[in-house]
Amino acid sequence: MSTPSLPDQTDLAILNALQDDLPLVSRPWKAIAERMGITETDIISRMNRLKDTGIIRAISPILESRHLGLHAATLVALHVPEERMDKIAAVISSYAEVSHNFERDHYYSLWFTLAAQNEEGIQRVLHEILQQTGIPESDVLDLPTIKKIKIDVRFSFLPAQIRENTDGPD
Amino acid sequence: MDPIDVHLLRELEHGLPLVPAPFEEIGKGLGLSGNEVMERIRRLKEAGIIRKFRARIDQRKMGMTANALVAWKPAGSGGNVPGKQLAAFPSVTHCYERRPVPGRWEYTHYTVHHGYSRGQVLDDVRAVAEQTGFRDYTVLFSTREFKRVPNVRMRENVSGIP
Repeated sequence: MSTPSLPDQTDLAILNALQDDLPLVSRPWKAIAERMGITETDIISRMNRLKDTGIIRAISPILESRHLGLHAATLVALHVPEERMDKIAAVISSYAEVSHNFERDHYYSLWFTLAAQNEEGIQRVLHEILQQTGIPESDVLDLPTIKKIKIDVRFSFLPAQIRENTDGPD
Repeated sequence: MDPIDVHLLRELEHGLPLVPAPFEEIGKGLGLSGNEVMERIRRLKEAGIIRKFRARIDQRKMGMTANALVAWKPAGSGGNVPGKQLAAFPSVTHCYERRPVPGRWEYTHYTVHHGYSRGQVLDDVRAVAEQTGFRDYTVLFSTREFKRVPNVRMRENVSGIP
């Protein structure tokens, strides 16, 4: 532990373990710690450090949208002129219906996801966004979700020395 | 789902407290015991409302800075097969089927890939293309993240409780 501020092997193991479903027992951190051969105190202090550095955002339930009344979703791509990107992105991010809003390396340069109670709700928000930003229909791709096939964000974190060997040319 | 469940989900959205007995701690504010909290979570999972209870991690802070959305136009069979084929790759974190825009954007399947470098992500994507035989695809690397929050937020975008 020469550089205690950087994640070490034990931190990586904790991060990998915390991406599994949390054990529903009264002392869940202790249960995870025991599997890893460390103490409850140790795992809690490491988790606190990982949270302080922003690596762990939260340990919380992932909710199923359609069981909570969000029945329609789409991915929208816009062609946005470079000089208008910041402003337009800010308008889009301000909507609660938008969960992801990324700039991407393509002619269609801004990609965001919209969720609402139904298709009409989606179209209402999209229409409002286009009106506010003045983006013409011809610069819009509306790609409604037909099927969620996989939603399982899981990162396999590797120690830095192994990571370098798996790096391709950038 | 009753009003207590709604309160519980709102509390849990902030994340479990990092104390030895976190469910007991959460229960204090709701007048529930730790066991009652766990029982409610168990039922919400059985009902499919909670998909998973896990850490949300900022992978960029761990050096995993490359992210690509890949749009695919799978060749051949159609139906559920291409989606299943794509989703089977461990490097794919998300896989969606979407309605195309005929004549302008014919891609129907989307995968998300994360990696330590663009090169690593491109290697993953090429491996998927080779093994599936899907040659028609576009890689969309992210250059900036303006917003990234969970799809479902009790306090923000869930209004009517079913």
